[in-house]
Amino acid sequence: MSVGIEHYVILSLALFCIGLFGVLTRRNALMFLMSVELMLNAANINLIAFAFYHGNLTGQVFALFTMALAAAEVAVGLGIILVLYRNFRDVDVTVPSAMRW
Amino acid sequence: MSDAFVLPEWAALAPALVLATTALLLFVYDSISPKSTNRAAIASIAAAGALVSLATAVWFILAGTGAEGVDAGYDLWFVVDEPGAGEGAISVFGGQLIVDQMALFFMVVVSVVTALVAISSYDYMAGHAYQAEYYSLLLLAATGMSTMAAANSLVTIFIALELASLPSYALVAILKDNRGSVEAGLKYFLIGALSSAIFVYGISLVYGATGHLQLESIAETIEAGGADAYGGILGLGILMLIGGFAFKTASVPFHFWAPEAYEGAPAPIAAFLSSASKAAGFVILFRVFTTAFPLEVTTDVIGLEWTHAFIILAIVTMTVGNFAAATQQNVKRMLAYSSVGHAGYAMIGLAGLTVDGGELVLGAAMMHLLVYGFMNTGAFLFVALAEYWGVGRTFEDYRGLASRAPIACAAVAVFMFSLAGIPPFGGFWSKYFLFLGSIEAAATNSAMLVVAAALVINSALSLYYYSRLVKAVWIDDPVTGFDRDFGGTPTGLYTAIVFAAIMTVVLLPGFGPVADVAIDAASAILV
Repeated sequence: MSVGIEHYVILSLALFCIGLFGVLTRRNALMFLMSVELMLNAANINLIAFAFYHGNLTGQVFALFTMALAAAEVAVGLGIILVLYRNFRDVDVTVPSAMRW
Repeated sequence: MSDAFVLPEWAALAPALVLATTALLLFVYDSISPKSTNRAAIASIAAAGALVSLATAVWFILAGTGAEGVDAGYDLWFVVDEPGAGEGAISVFGGQLIVDQMALFFMVVVSVVTALVAISSYDYMAGHAYQAEYYSLLLLAATGMSTMAAANSLVTIFIALELASLPSYALVAILKDNRGSVEAGLKYFLIGALSSAIFVYGISLVYGATGHLQLESIAETIEAGGADAYGGILGLGILMLIGGFAFKTASVPFHFWAPEAYEGAPAPIAAFLSSASKAAGFVILFRVFTTAFPLEVTTDVIGLEWTHAFIILAIVTMTVGNFAAATQQNVKRMLAYSSVGHAGYAMIGLAGLTVDGGELVLGAAMMHLLVYGFMNTGAFLFVALAEYWGVGRTFEDYRGLASRAPIACAAVAVFMFSLAGIPPFGGFWSKYFLFLGSIEAAATNSAMLVVAAALVINSALSLYYYSRLVKAVWIDDPVTGFDRDFGGTPTGLYTAIVFAAIMTVVLLPGFGPVADVAIDAASAILV
């Protein structure tokens, strides 16, 4: 028995929403990064499932690119979180609030 | 046709390749002499790279590379006047990248801004520890933006967008011991990471609906009815793509990073982000929506016209930007919100598209982004000059600066009046064309009348806060104790500011050719 495409889409949508929920509620910058990773991986599930569904490899190859870019993004993000910690002694994203309109 | 000097097809990407090479050259320089304090050499390499990229892009435009009627890939050197010689756009790597007039037009914008920022950073970043890193990050981001101009597939668009974004995050936070800079970098990064996740999910949905990532193939699938069963998924995907673009162009609903990032970032980087990054965001926005989602067929599939989304976004963005700018006391924040407002003006370019037209309004949006590249970069560089001198950040602190720096203050008056759209400057012409284009589009879509009205009202409102800065520097009495010496006249900053001011004025007589190029480029992608 094969699993239908709609199951994959529902799974990825659920993962995306969990990630989005984490982004909106978590105050720890590292948890924020992890939530963004969930959202990116939700997209990867979609890409791979749709690649299988459409019978071409474009989506799978793009998923590889997405993973590499996600890693690069985390590298830059961790660097910024590191200087955040050095300056504010905290990784809470609500602490730096000098600039408000 | 003489083949005396024939370049291969990939050479059409030269403006982006030059920027990438320069960035790597700076890394090599830094690895050979990591302790080098020869800032002049590093800054000149960066500025020279940006200028060579600019020269190649201008040369290609003049030579007609990628234009209609030029044999693709050949005769980059010679202008061949052979109408009907085929579709001019040069597509590289199996259509993943495409070099046409619009790509070259935006490569010009990116490299001009990069050159101005590199020259002015020489003074601004004096005493900073990471010189070579700073300039190579700058050029890598510029490479990404230049590639965005040529990207013709959702894959290359996403990669180029990340190549532009990742160095930008680091650049905003590069003043590592400055709390403002770190806070700005953090906020920029968090919102950027969120929006790129939304963007890539949008890409996956569009891929799911059509089975393709290359823009023309997406359009073909939609046209052939291959996506008819997935209208909802396609519509949701398009909506998420708009979210990603809104971040890059600093428009509603992802605009709130802009004031923070611009205020905390080093001022030349704020200039870079608000001009080049915004222009690059718009070029992919234009290309994706004109190439991949042709208005008529997409409307049939998803059930509503995407121009409506842009009409709403354009009106909301320009209104939010201008009203928020009017309440600011901090000059840099005022400019940041004004840049949000200008994103709204440029978005009219997509809002005004109709099934069988819109060259004028799209071309006008491109012109506006070019003019904006000069006047807004100049305005931010003036703020950089003020920060260099240690003048404060608010309008109050800028009072009477004209007695100290008349030339820079004359330039800032030019920038401000041009940003507001006062007749003798470049900014007036692009807004005038936007207005004409909106009126023209209103013939088929009466909502465009509202957009045209919003454009006029917002421009009038913007005159209030732009003239406040001019009044502060020229008319108000100097702050007491103001005649102390600021510590010299920074040559690099002055050169960049004066050059930007001259270009803002020179664009007035030169607007004919610019308008021609922009409208040609717009009609080429609308075919």
